[in-house]
Amino acid sequence: MTVDEYPDADAATVEEVEPILRVRSEPGVSKPDPILTVEGVRRTFGGLVAVDIDHLEVQRGVVTALIGPNGAGKTTLFNLLSGFERADRGRWAFAGRLVSGMSADRLARQGMVRTFQLTKSLARLPVIENMLLGAPDQMGERLRIAPFRSRWRDQERDNTERAGQLLEQFNLMHMRDELAGTLSGGQRKLLEVARALMAEPRLIMLDEPMAGVNPALAQSLMQHISLLAMSGVSVVFIEHDMNVVAGISDWVVVLAEGRVIAEGPPWNVIHNDLVIDAYLGRSGRPAESTGREESS
Amino acid sequence: MMEFDVIFGNAARAAFGPEAVILALAAIGLNVHFGYTGLLNFGQVGFMLLGAYGTSVSVATFGWSLWVGIPVGLALSAVLALALGIPTLRLQAVLFAIATIAAAEILRLIIGSTDAIELTGGPLSISFDASAFYDLNPYAEGPQVRYGAGTFAFTGQQLWVITVGWTLVALAGLAVFLIVRSPWGRVLKSIREDENAARSLGKNVFAYRMQALVIGGVIAGLAGVVDAIKTSGADPNGFRPQVTFFTYTALLLGGSATCTGPVLGAILFWFLREWIESFLRQLAAEAWLPQPISDSLSGSEGVISVGVVGLALIMLVLFRPQGIVGNRTEMLIDDG
Ligand SMILES: Nc1ncnc2c1ncn2[C@@H]1O[C@H](COP(=O)(O)OP(=O)(O)OP(=O)(O)O)[C@@H](O)[C@H]1O
Ligand SMILES: [Mg+2]
Repeated sequence: MTVDEYPDADAATVEEVEPILRVRSEPGVSKPDPILTVEGVRRTFGGLVAVDIDHLEVQRGVVTALIGPNGAGKTTLFNLLSGFERADRGRWAFAGRLVSGMSADRLARQGMVRTFQLTKSLARLPVIENMLLGAPDQMGERLRIAPFRSRWRDQERDNTERAGQLLEQFNLMHMRDELAGTLSGGQRKLLEVARALMAEPRLIMLDEPMAGVNPALAQSLMQHISLLAMSGVSVVFIEHDMNVVAGISDWVVVLAEGRVIAEGPPWNVIHNDLVIDAYLGRSGRPAESTGREESS
Repeated sequence: MMEFDVIFGNAARAAFGPEAVILALAAIGLNVHFGYTGLLNFGQVGFMLLGAYGTSVSVATFGWSLWVGIPVGLALSAVLALALGIPTLRLQAVLFAIATIAAAEILRLIIGSTDAIELTGGPLSISFDASAFYDLNPYAEGPQVRYGAGTFAFTGQQLWVITVGWTLVALAGLAVFLIVRSPWGRVLKSIREDENAARSLGKNVFAYRMQALVIGGVIAGLAGVVDAIKTSGADPNGFRPQVTFFTYTALLLGGSATCTGPVLGAILFWFLREWIESFLRQLAAEAWLPQPISDSLSGSEGVISVGVVGLALIMLVLFRPQGIVGNRTEMLIDDG
């Protein structure tokens, strides 16, 4: 596959805008400008090899989809890279810095923010407080400064304003002052993505952000993700719905039984025989029908 | 003849007396742990014990000034928080709970053991000269001098203890109010709700829990200090695990994760407890109670009144789970 075959775009601009499109479609291929580089990462649960990746690079500023059948190790890979679970071995670098073994909170402060497949909304906090929690570098979060409101009031006001804009974009403004526990499953998914964006990530990792979100909202979430990448944020998202994957990803990585079995631009990967086999082999169902159920 | 004014006076006296001050402080501290941070601390009495014994031992055994003894007591509470938190705060909530109750009991057993007699008085109580505190008493003293009316009356000395005591409650309550309404408090609550969510947004969960544990522990230590000053000493039997459970009762009565809840809860706890106790004593005096029940009243433990307070707590959980001042919708949210 060459650049010329890119659907509706002329080759010159494509080359200019998307250097990722000049990358060959083969597992573990190196990319021109990786924000995340994974090297020999392995994780087993008892005898089960959940993740075993020789080499994987994630290109900066594009949308990368991570797909694969149920139990392929996608969530586990997220957990390892974001510091929520320990790898048996392996190293990975984020934004040019070796971060393997770094704690989850430090990684998040470096700009690598992830969401969870099973949403983690803070049920007894209002939606707006959920959002504000995401804001980085808050003076008022330091115990010594916390009692003195005047020292954090301005920052809080700015954060509240930004939170309001995001809530607006995610159709959650009417729920602003409700407890997050009263939101529907889909609304919680949206809140979690919006909250992660409050953290001003450089790389955002979304674990099935569309699951349980109604098609119209999912559509706007997809647009939001595309815009995000245009503004320079790198996005990795896990998704089962091939239409979504084809719709917004610039690059697709396919995981099966913990290994990267294929990667490349969506139109190239989705119809790849290996990938179809992996889906059929694991679940006995075609790829299109595996996804979209709310997993909580 | 039942004298309900006497019963009411006794109850009110307990509700505003030093015991309620001590309970209120312990509950304010526990509110920081349990109410805001979600830490299942079942060893709150251990912090109180160190506050009380730190003060008592400093003055009685080492002969230091009371004004040195008090900070020593508070510092020991902080040390307990660190010693307890560093190894256990990363563990599961249940394991932390077990560690706290065990630590408090171990401390009580060590301090109350005969081997510790030289230092702490061991199983005997320790007593010290608290005149440094009582010398500051501005209220007139005398065998006939009482402040109040009927049974709701205090001596000048008692009034001095409760004046200082409620001032401390107000200050501790205000301090907690100021820090929990801030973004710092928001992080605590997020940890209570879901620590991994907090982590994923860059919050150092361990550090925040540690800060909460120390703050709540030192406030409980302050409760112990008030206890020591009130009795001019300390007794290991005063620091049994039920003190922690009474503290939970007061906190839940008033409303967990609210600013006034722990204080109102402590007042109500002592009011109810003394009202029932006093009521039963009068019934017994009229010989309207069966013998075994009136016998049990002579014990200082207040078996029945504690039982009735327990019953009240059960009713509360059934009919008003959020406590007196808590938020009902917040309470009824299920974790999802
Ligand atoms: N904590 C754990 N203990 C034991 N096994 C685990 C654990 N976490 C994951 N696994 C196993 O690792 C494998 C990969 O799981 P993972 O959740 O990463 O899959 P996934 O690709 O995210 O699947 P899905 O699409 O269903 O979300 C599965 O076989 C799972 O059973
Ligand atoms: Mg998963």
